[in-house]
Amino acid sequence: MENISFPSANVKEINELLRRYGVKFGIYKNGEFKEQLFPFDTIPRVISADSFSYLEKGLIQRVDALNMFLYDIYHEKKIIADKIIPEEFVYISSGYLPQCEGITPPKKIYSHISGIDLVEGKDGEWYILEDNLRIPSGASYPLIARELTRTASPDCFSQSGIVDNRNYAELLRSAMDSVNCGGINAILTPGRYNAAYFEHSYLAELTGAALVQNNELFVEDNMLFQKTYTGGKTRIGALYRRISDEYLDPLTFNPCSVIGVPNLTEAYRAGNVAVINALGNGVADDKGIYYFVPKMIKYYLNEEPILKNAPTYLPFYEEDRKYVLENLEKLVIKDVAEAGGYGVVFGSDLTAEKLADFRQTIINEPRRFIAQEVIDFKDLPIIENGEQVMRKADLRAFVLSGEKTRVWASGLTRFSRNPDSFVVNSSQGGGFKDTWVLSR
Amino acid sequence: MKKINFVFSTKLTFDDYVEEHSIALRCIPPETETQHIVSCQLEITPLISTNRTVDAFGNNVTSGYIAKPHRFLDFEVRCTAELDKTKRRTDFMPCYSRFSEYTKPDGALYDFHRQIKNDSLSPLERAKYYSERLHEIMSYETNSTTIKTTAAQAFAQKKGVCQDFSHIILSLLRIDGIPCRYIAGLTESGGETHSWIEVWTGECWRGFDPTSVIFVEDEYITLSQGCDFGDCAIDRGVMKGAFTRQMQLVSSRITVE
Repeated sequence: MENISFPSANVKEINELLRRYGVKFGIYKNGEFKEQLFPFDTIPRVISADSFSYLEKGLIQRVDALNMFLYDIYHEKKIIADKIIPEEFVYISSGYLPQCEGITPPKKIYSHISGIDLVEGKDGEWYILEDNLRIPSGASYPLIARELTRTASPDCFSQSGIVDNRNYAELLRSAMDSVNCGGINAILTPGRYNAAYFEHSYLAELTGAALVQNNELFVEDNMLFQKTYTGGKTRIGALYRRISDEYLDPLTFNPCSVIGVPNLTEAYRAGNVAVINALGNGVADDKGIYYFVPKMIKYYLNEEPILKNAPTYLPFYEEDRKYVLENLEKLVIKDVAEAGGYGVVFGSDLTAEKLADFRQTIINEPRRFIAQEVIDFKDLPIIENGEQVMRKADLRAFVLSGEKTRVWASGLTRFSRNPDSFVVNSSQGGGFKDTWVLSR
Repeated sequence: MKKINFVFSTKLTFDDYVEEHSIALRCIPPETETQHIVSCQLEITPLISTNRTVDAFGNNVTSGYIAKPHRFLDFEVRCTAELDKTKRRTDFMPCYSRFSEYTKPDGALYDFHRQIKNDSLSPLERAKYYSERLHEIMSYETNSTTIKTTAAQAFAQKKGVCQDFSHIILSLLRIDGIPCRYIAGLTESGGETHSWIEVWTGECWRGFDPTSVIFVEDEYITLSQGCDFGDCAIDRGVMKGAFTRQMQLVSSRITVE
């Protein structure tokens, strides 16, 4: 690893290029929409070929089990009947949609694109922090950053054995093609004021899918169509969307939604369009269900889980609740209903009074929280004001499920710019790095 | 066994043209253990092509799309059905034990539940008892609520229509952990659509009408069922147009053979 020369272009120049390319991240704060640059750090995270091959096996195993879980929950519910997961955890989850009962998505795939967040502990062990199965965003950032760093420093990539990551578009397109029910592939965006608008337009360009907004779509004869400029219509067979389930179809879910497509659920139920990712996935990436994923792997695949969860406690179980209440000051507590780094509380940050209040909240609503040991994960070097400093970083790995489940040999490494923080989410002001997987 | 014929029609009139109108109707009664559908025709004007699916709750969904500008939408269902009150339905879903959008209780509903709670009663008796207690403090008043009103909101103003009585009783029963569901349908007395509930006895569903405080027998025809009104709306539509008001006339006529 020592003989890899890092890109010589400096941080400022590449960030200037990213700005010119419009690589931005939208954020809503106090009711206002702001687009901000997603700060890029040029020092990549480097993963050895051996490490990656281990991660790859573990991620494929995990995503396959999660897809089987989703099918089971919306059909026979064997995992509940066999008492592996208490039914409370499934049906109380706001991500569980009774409206999706009995619907079988094409090829039984629910999570076509899974973003699995991991950290590398100081002990060298990888831990899963969370699963994101509702169209996780972020793949476009390392893609374009790699493109720019390659331009700035071509030698680095021709001389070092770094696995090319340009195949993301191909992975995504083949995942879409494999479930397409007839017609074109399309990427539905709520528009340019959406947090992931850059990503939607970039992925559409790379995969050859049409970039569409809801006002040009309609459902007729239980099929999804895009209106053409000449007054005709083009059938859509696979729809990538990042709109939340409850806004996706005003005739099935929230009737006030103006960003959805009326009767999309009927077309989907009839098997005439694949919705990527499927409706109802929220039940599987619920923070409360996370605890049970290793049990799912054993149950559905009859295999030992390869990748570990961070040590997690469910206050729902009396024994765990006792431990959580006694050790609150050293744990990290997550509100299962929140996402994007919101609703995460470190016990060590709380005053004695706040701790007491929080204990009471946990006693009152034990199902609402999970508690985890704070993992002392590896710091990665970043350049700040011309100097190299160490910051907390995680890795979002992208797993694509089509004919087969495949892991993209790259990923989004996010870091905290605040030296005292473990929270790396871009919505909380973090930055990102490229992730290099070595070919040998 | 009782054989009935019914005609159910609604006329929706807009005061300006609308277009790109998507509809989802749940007006074709489901075939169940207690109601056998001998024949059923649905007529929609303007004439459009429609499709039929069965949703997660077992409802017949008729969906359609009207691209061109139009000022009205009428539909009429003509149906012959055999109702059998000796049979029981057993189709179950876990969501029926859980609070839903419309039935999530607030503090006031929890308080009311604490006052009237009676664990010695069977689920069906409890539905009746809770309804009797509810009627002591809440009155039936036409147009006092809308289709968006939740159980908690209707309870706060102490007046409502059949939909609200159903939602409140569902909410109270679900606090007890008793599975129960919302039913939209018609009664022999005709008129607009009615709402009542079904309570899970542990083995099967039994109907109860919280508005009239009576057990449901074969004078009721189920059009749709679900966790709450949101799953059961007889007609839902989304359309484009300038600010338009709409007027809806609903009528039904039932004859017993």
